[in-house]
Amino acid sequence: MPFRLLNSRMVEAQVVPGQRLFSQRGAMLAYRGEVSFTPSITGGQGGVMGMIGRRVANEATPLMAVEGSGTVMFGHGGHHVHVVELSGDTLYVEADRLLAFDGTLQQGTMFMGSQGGVMGIVRGQVTGQGLFTTTLKGHGAVAVMAHGGVIELPITPHRPVVVDPQAYVAHRGDVRNKLSAALGWREVVGRGSGEAFRLELSGNGTVYVQASEEKL
Amino acid sequence: MNGPVIHDATTLPVDDNVNPYAFSVELKGSKWFLQKGKMIAYYGRIDFHGIGHGPLDRLIAGSFHSPLHAADWVVAEGQGKMLLADRSFDVNSYDLEDGNLTVRSGNLLAFEPSLSLKQSIVPGFLTLIGTGKFVAASNGPVVFVEPPIRVDPQALVGWADCPSPCHHYDHQYLRGVMGGVRRLTGLGGASGEEHQFEFVGAGTVLLQSTEQLMAEAPTGEGPPDEAGVPGGGGGHGNQPMPRLPGQLGDLQRRFGL
Repeated sequence: MPFRLLNSRMVEAQVVPGQRLFSQRGAMLAYRGEVSFTPSITGGQGGVMGMIGRRVANEATPLMAVEGSGTVMFGHGGHHVHVVELSGDTLYVEADRLLAFDGTLQQGTMFMGSQGGVMGIVRGQVTGQGLFTTTLKGHGAVAVMAHGGVIELPITPHRPVVVDPQAYVAHRGDVRNKLSAALGWREVVGRGSGEAFRLELSGNGTVYVQASEEKL
Repeated sequence: MNGPVIHDATTLPVDDNVNPYAFSVELKGSKWFLQKGKMIAYYGRIDFHGIGHGPLDRLIAGSFHSPLHAADWVVAEGQGKMLLADRSFDVNSYDLEDGNLTVRSGNLLAFEPSLSLKQSIVPGFLTLIGTGKFVAASNGPVVFVEPPIRVDPQALVGWADCPSPCHHYDHQYLRGVMGGVRRLTGLGGASGEEHQFEFVGAGTVLLQSTEQLMAEAPTGEGPPDEAGVPGGGGGHGNQPMPRLPGQLGDLQRRFGL
């Protein structure tokens, strides 16, 4: 089910019977046809265990299930919207950046500390992601929110990409991430460059970066 | 990458957008109504009169029918070009041809006196009637949609030619066994989309791209305190909504659901 961008901050989605869609609660702007918006108690898929997992991981963003037949327009908080089409691969994104996504996508949570050990945990703190992040896997589309426009940067095995952790939005594919810190005496005395933390992504995939250092 | 465009009095557009956030109006001895504080710069010789000044009485009598907003509007008069903007919100101009358009009062920036401004009977909205140009702001670009459509109340900027804005309540998910549990316990919370504005019939509905409202302009006193006047009596246009059967009010919030 494709999302159609109406402008930089709004998407339109087709809802057909039998296919559900998840979206952030309160993000519907308008709709046509007979569409129902049901708050999802479990916050997505995976039943009660999925819910507990997300609660523990603090990735339980309030979601609602959108069903029926018609077209729905989504937008939230004036943030820019970027549509990511998944074809079998996995998107790693913070749950509160999800505006809407296909119900057929498999939702999961991932422990970020498993990549990079202690630095993985520091990384979570610096990017504001915490220790866990949400994964979406399968075939379908995801509408992701960002502060400012989104830039896609490809990651190839010999070309790792370094991003500012605050500008990081999401990534997809087979990507390892490593937080590097260049902390020295300058940072200690408050004369740092402001770019002490860098997020280095290597492997094969794409990273999405927003044109702002402001978190959602 | 292109650098900043430098404008002067001759290159500024005539009654058009300079960029998505600023609008340039040319005055040639003509007059424009504008909301106080929305002019950011001007070239030429332009006077700004508060409404209620003697020499403008006839103009105001002809095109300003909104006594409760009088304190928020000024008349610009003279020769030159002025720039209008509002807190970096997106600004757009709209042309009406013998038409009518109702817009949220805080969103309207300026209008030509060939239009007449009236208070809508929907509290908090203003209606423009006639032929001419007006400028309105929105949080994010405006999207035009055609009815039948249901709209998030906060995303609504205005509507043209639709006679039927009404409320639509959706509590479908509060029915059945699970709905009963949900209603009694508050578990699962609300979707935040139980209430929409519904538009049917012919016309156009204007939506902004987010559900974050622009701060409303102060509206002074309410409409006259008469029987049958919505929002009449007391100035606070919106009375508290009656609590609906499914709403638990503060209980849900207390549980953080």
